[in-house]
Amino acid sequence: MKNVLITIFIILFAMPSFGQRFITKTGKVSFYSDAPLEKIEAVNNTVNCAMDTQSGFFVVKILMRSFVFEKELMQEHFNEEYVESEKFPNAFFKGQVQNLKQINFKKEGIYPVTIAGQMTIHGKTQPVKATGTFAISKGAIIASGKFPIKISDYGISIPGAVVGKISENVEIHVHFNLKPLKQ
Amino acid sequence: MKKAIRIGTIGAITALLAAMYVWFFVYNKPHQNFEMAKPEKVLSASQCFENFSKNNTPDDGKVLEIYGIPSSIETADSMVVVCFYFKKGMFGDEGIRCTLLPKFQKAASKLSTTDTVYIKGFCAGYNGTDVIFEKSSIINKDK
Repeated sequence: MKNVLITIFIILFAMPSFGQRFITKTGKVSFYSDAPLEKIEAVNNTVNCAMDTQSGFFVVKILMRSFVFEKELMQEHFNEEYVESEKFPNAFFKGQVQNLKQINFKKEGIYPVTIAGQMTIHGKTQPVKATGTFAISKGAIIASGKFPIKISDYGISIPGAVVGKISENVEIHVHFNLKPLKQ
Repeated sequence: MKKAIRIGTIGAITALLAAMYVWFFVYNKPHQNFEMAKPEKVLSASQCFENFSKNNTPDDGKVLEIYGIPSSIETADSMVVVCFYFKKGMFGDEGIRCTLLPKFQKAASKLSTTDTVYIKGFCAGYNGTDVIFEKSSIINKDK
């Protein structure tokens, strides 16, 4: 009896710490880089993203080979020479919504958000802080935002022949249509 | 003099042809046609997922053909995804997700979750949750 009461107590008091989890497996991440040699643009429409509305935990998993470029040659170079997709197949982001208290997930609207965390690309991890919005509508959260990264921070080197012709800075755009996880 | 002009003309034409070759077949070479590509391996969806999740023989970056009974057919934005799920995790159901080529999206509505389906596509890899197939096509085994 005592054990049953302890179990009920633990369940009742542990539950509020787990909020509703929202997920998508068809998140969109794109990046854009403008430089004298050429503009580089790619999009990935099969990104996994999960968020816990109680704790503000925010996680993103990106399969590098799923980035699609306009030109096949660029895609090959991206996978083989720059991000080395065979060696480092995934990029990750694990972070926290910084202004969670200012978001009412039960009330429809557009809320500005700041997310800070650690991003791993090409096996290198760096702190990242991104601003964007949460659009809450019809029980879903549309998370979108953009932030810049410097590719050298992630150990991605530009071949000598094209240094100065390919931008060191890349702008990352994210768009996640997060829906409640059905248990 | 005529000889020099002839050599110059031939040289210019050769350079022009080489530049055209590089422009069309190297710099602007088309994306691979995965619908027409021959699969490097044919295996069951469950075996494919096990290979990736247990890191036995990863086949990422290859064209594969898998077969199995789909768990669901999902639509998101302009994409149709045939899903084979084998376990539950942080992201809900986990397994293999095959994004179909637009040409096969209509045919996906005829797929059932009780019959075996054959899917061929580019295996982009395993993201720790799901094995992702891109540019997938539905193989009609009745032909």
